Amino acid sequence: MAIIEVKNLEKTYRDETETTALRGLNFSIKNGEFVSIVGPSGSGKSTLLHILGFLDRLTGGEYLFEGKSMNDYSDEELAQVRNKKMGFVFQAFNLLPRTTVLENVKLPLLYSAVKESLWNEIALKAIDSVGLSDRVDHESARLSGGEKQRVAIARALINDPSIIFADEPTGNLDSKSGGQVMEILEKLNQEGRTIILVTHESYTAEYANRLIKVKDGLVEFDGPIVKEHKQQNGFIK
Amino acid sequence: MHFKYTAKTAFKGLSMNRMRSFLTLLGIVIGITAIILVMSLGQGAQNLILSQIQSMGPKVIAVAPGRQPKGITDMLSTFTDSLKEKDIEELKKKNNVPHLADIMPIVFGSQTAVYENNAYRPTILGVTGLFTKIYNIYPNQGRIFTDEEVKGYADVAIIGSKVKTQLFGNDDALGQRIKIKGKSFRIIGIFPKTGQVSFLNFDDIAIIPHTTAQQYIFGIKYFNRIVIEADSEENVNRTVEDIKITLRNNHNITDPSKDDFFVETQAEALKMVGAITGIFTLFLAAIAAISLFVGGIGIMNIMLVSVTERTREIGLRKALGATGKNILTQFLFEAVMLTTAGGVIGIILGLLLSFVISFVLGHYLALAWQFVIPVQAIILGLGVSTLIGLIFGIYPARKASRKSPIEALRYE
Repeated sequence: MAIIEVKNLEKTYRDETETTALRGLNFSIKNGEFVSIVGPSGSGKSTLLHILGFLDRLTGGEYLFEGKSMNDYSDEELAQVRNKKMGFVFQAFNLLPRTTVLENVKLPLLYSAVKESLWNEIALKAIDSVGLSDRVDHESARLSGGEKQRVAIARALINDPSIIFADEPTGNLDSKSGGQVMEILEKLNQEGRTIILVTHESYTAEYANRLIKVKDGLVEFDGPIVKEHKQQNGFIK
Repeated sequence: MHFKYTAKTAFKGLSMNRMRSFLTLLGIVIGITAIILVMSLGQGAQNLILSQIQSMGPKVIAVAPGRQPKGITDMLSTFTDSLKEKDIEELKKKNNVPHLADIMPIVFGSQTAVYENNAYRPTILGVTGLFTKIYNIYPNQGRIFTDEEVKGYADVAIIGSKVKTQLFGNDDALGQRIKIKGKSFRIIGIFPKTGQVSFLNFDDIAIIPHTTAQQYIFGIKYFNRIVIEADSEENVNRTVEDIKITLRNNHNITDPSKDDFFVETQAEALKMVGAITGIFTLFLAAIAAISLFVGGIGIMNIMLVSVTERTREIGLRKALGATGKNILTQFLFEAVMLTTAGGVIGIILGLLLSFVISFVLGHYLALAWQFVIPVQAIILGLGVSTLIGLIFGIYPARKASRKSPIEALRYE
C-alpha cells in the first residue's frame, strides 16, 4: 500500500515575487521503502520533503498521506500526524540547548497522549537503540556531531513512527559519524519503517533502495538503486 | 498538555536568560511592592489615626482659633488669638450651650525644663484638671492639679515618663522642683509610659495649669484650643451649633463665613482622615498602576524578543507535533510565571518594607503603629501580577503559536 502519493504537486511561494519551487511532481512511495531524494541546491528537494513531512502546505495538485488528502487535514491534525506517525532528522540536529539527551528525546512525548509515567522508559529505550545509553544525562551541547544526530534519531523514533524524514542528516558530520547515522537509518528501514532522505551526497543517497532526482521543480529521474552498484563503489562496509 | 512539563519548560526558558528575566521582573516587582506597601501602611495609618481620634471619645468637640482658609489669598488673614477667657465663661452658661458637660482651655508650646544640671525641652501644655478625664490617661504616681490650683496660678506640673527620665534619671521626681522659663514648678504627678495618643506624645509632655502657663510661660491672654465635651453623643451636633452661635455673639460676628474660630468634632475628624488616607491611597495606587503597566509592557517586549530568538525552537516543537495551542500555552505560561514571580518578590519586599517602616514608626516615633499583613493586598497582588502576565503575554504567545514550522526551522 502506498503511504505517500503525490499528484501534480505544486508549490509556489508568494512574497514580493512569485517563486515556483515545485512544478507538478508525480510519484508514490510504498510502506517500507527507503527513498533518496537528490538534486542540486535550489531544485526544490527540501521543499518537497517539507510538504511530504506535513511541515508546509502545497499550493497545487494533491498529496495523499495514507490515502487521505493533506488538504483535508487541519493544522492541528497535521501536528498530530507529525507527532504520531512521522519522525524528523535535520541537518542542523535541532536539539534544545542546555537540555539533557533524555529531555531532548522526550520532547515529542510532551505533545502526545502517552502517559507521563511511561516517558522515561520509552525515551531510554530509544536512546539505547542508537547506542547512547552512556550519554543519557549529558547536555546536548557537549556531544559530538555524530552523537547529536543519533540523539535526533532517537527523538524521531520515540513515538514509533511509520515514516522518517531525514533532511541532509549527514551534512554537518564527518564521514565516519555520517556512516554511523546512515547505518542506523538503514537498520530502521530493515525493521520496516519508510525512510525518505534528502541529500546531495551521492554516497549517502546510495544507502536507499530508490532514487528520486529533482531538478527545477520536476522529477528528473525515479528508479531503483542497484545493490551491486553500491558495493562496487565501496560505500557499504 | 502536561502541566508539570509546561511549568518545567517555561522555567527553563526563563532561566536561560536569568539576568534578562530578572530585569524584566523589576517593573512588576516595584508595582506589586507599591501595592502591598500602600495597603499595609495605609491600613496601619488609618488604624492608628482612628485609634488616636477615638481615644478622645466621640463626645469631644474641639474649638480652634482662626478659620479654615478659603483660598490662597485667604491664608494670611487667619486669627490665632481669638479665643479668650470670656469665651469660656460664655460657653459655660447653661442657656448658651445647654448640653455642655465639660470645658477645658489649652495653651501649648515648647520650653526648656531644667532640673539641677539636666535640661530637656518637652511640650508644655497649659490645661485644667479635666485633661486626664478627656484623654483618659492618669498619672501612675501622684495626682492631677485641682481647680483651686488652676485658679490660683499654682506652680505645679505633671510630667511624662520620658521627661522624668531625661531630667531625673532613676531618681525620685515626685515633690522635686524643676524650672521652666525661670519659674519653679513642683512635680505633683508622673504619667506612665503611654506613647502617642490623639497626636500627642504623652511621654514627652509637661502639663501645668493653663493660668500659670499663660501668665508665666507664654505670656499670652488667649487659648490655643478649647476642648468641650457634650453630655451625650446624640447632642454633639446640637452642641456644635450652640458653640458657634455663642462664639459669634461673643465676637460680634454676623456673617458665618467671617468666623474667627472653627469647631471640629470627632466624626468630622474621622471623615477628614478617611478623605486624606483615601487620596493618599489613590495616589500611590496610581503609581502602582503605572508601574505595573510599564512593567507589563516590559514583559511584552521581552517576550517578543524571546519569541524571535527562539523561532527555531518553536519550529522544532511544531515539527515534533506541537500544535499552535501548545506553543501558545508554553509562552503564555512563561509570561505568567515571570509576572507571578515578580508578584511574589513584590509581596515579600512590600511586607518587609512595611514591617521595617512600622517598626521604625513604632519604636523611634513612639507611635502606636501596628504592622498589618494585608491579606487582601496579597491576594490582589498575586491576582494582578498573574493578570498582567496573561494580558501582556498573549500577544507574543499568539505570535509564537502562529509561526509556520518550516519558516521557523529555516530561521537563522
